[in-house]
Amino acid sequence: MTCLISTEKLTALNDKYRPFAEIAQDLKEMNEYPPKFHFSAKDNICATGFQARAGSKILEGYRPPFDATVVRKMREANGILIGKTNMDEFGFGTFCTNSAFGIPLNPYDLERTCGGSSGGAAAITALLDKHVALAESTGGSISCPASFCGVIGFTPTYGRVSRYGLIDYANSLDKIGLVTRSVADLKRFLPVISGPDRRDPTSCVQPELRLDGPKVKSVAIPEEALQNLDPAVLRAFETALDKLSEMGIEAHRVSMPSLGFALAAYYVLATSEASTNLARYKGMLFGVRGGKIDQSFNDYFSEVRSANFGKEAKRRVLLGTYTRMVGFRDRYYLKALAVRQLIIKEYQGLMEKDDLIITPTMPFIAPRFTEIAKMKPLEIYQADFLTVPPNLTGMPHISLPCGYEDKMPIGMQLVAPHWEERRLLDVAERWCDDFKIRFPEVSG
Amino acid sequence: MKSVARNARLKLTEAEIREFAKDLEDVLSYFSILDKAPDTGKHDFNSVPVSNVLREDEVSREINAEMLRDSMDTYQDMVRGPKLT
Repeated sequence: MTCLISTEKLTALNDKYRPFAEIAQDLKEMNEYPPKFHFSAKDNICATGFQARAGSKILEGYRPPFDATVVRKMREANGILIGKTNMDEFGFGTFCTNSAFGIPLNPYDLERTCGGSSGGAAAITALLDKHVALAESTGGSISCPASFCGVIGFTPTYGRVSRYGLIDYANSLDKIGLVTRSVADLKRFLPVISGPDRRDPTSCVQPELRLDGPKVKSVAIPEEALQNLDPAVLRAFETALDKLSEMGIEAHRVSMPSLGFALAAYYVLATSEASTNLARYKGMLFGVRGGKIDQSFNDYFSEVRSANFGKEAKRRVLLGTYTRMVGFRDRYYLKALAVRQLIIKEYQGLMEKDDLIITPTMPFIAPRFTEIAKMKPLEIYQADFLTVPPNLTGMPHISLPCGYEDKMPIGMQLVAPHWEERRLLDVAERWCDDFKIRFPEVSG
Repeated sequence: MKSVARNARLKLTEAEIREFAKDLEDVLSYFSILDKAPDTGKHDFNSVPVSNVLREDEVSREINAEMLRDSMDTYQDMVRGPKLT
């Protein structure tokens, strides 16, 4: 058997598209019996044999002595980890432009972003035949890059997949999921990575994962999600709705007023949690060490953090620290928790009548780096307004390619009730029977 | 901003303080939309119900202690760190 994957081939791909933070140096196992499959892991997922830097200079040199549960499970299923994929620092970004280790490029157009924060995961999945990527989403980090790179991005219910070995961004929001090229791969690997794990208590209350069930009959479209969209995205989305109708899936327009609060609630919770999670990076336990040891405690920590956190990491730590400070906690943090419950309730109410909620995944096609450079931080945060709501609620969701504008892919996002991943798989399977997903022409 | 940075254990330059102050002003102004949201009175940390998972303690060594020691700044098997005062 000849192995089609080699370190040389991956290095050539990486030279052009930069999806990897690190590439496996020995891939001869790919040729050994029993047959193997290749997978990658986002660089915030720990794996032996690789550094785990989560896109941050502060974790340079950190080599975890253990496998994250998802990596262990994929390896036990005969998977070969071929590399760690590049990402925004700690997941802080929408365009994968915030990594300390280079910016991955969109396989369809090197002048455009591949999306974030799991940008490398989506790019390598688009580029490499038969590849599956372990990715992670806090506020849209699987859906967004999947949409921009024209692949399938699946974010399971919060708690479906163990997060043991994941470098936390925001504990109440982080979810490990998959980026794949086909629904068959999704149905193959979702059961592999799912299931209770005593090392992650949030995974221990889940009902059994079921892949099959009743056919999806209808979807709801929140009117609020159709505002401020690029006309090309709206066109592709409406064409997709027509195709779904031909498949026997009715679409109903609904109103979902709570969506207007989702983005603010999400950024309050995500940055609050991130600012406490990042307190562990202080130049002692992981990655780079601090400077002079004879400094005071606070000076030592502050120096190493200031020198090694990127700009967006500093911005989010500051924001999260502020919203948790005395006098502001009730206004921001507690209110955001209450809003999360409000949005969950509204989703649940809508899905008593319709099986799923559907929207475009992103409001525009992958922007050019020159356009991103002109955006203010708040404008970048606002680009997440479609991916944040399901992530805030912990509900499973999928981004499926649904059209193309010139050569650039456009995605649609479907959301299901907690633990009802099978509804998403049903629509995905029916959709992909009819819609031909394109892949970029690759030159190494 | 200086006080927030101190709490966050970040040393910022004057230019960074000016830049982040403006960014945070924009974002916090946007966050004020939350003032208009109804308060459900429910403040659960998790989006799905979570139960405590307790088990008996088990003695095990899953990670090599020497590996941990070698990955930290140590002196005679002790971890070195800055002064507490």
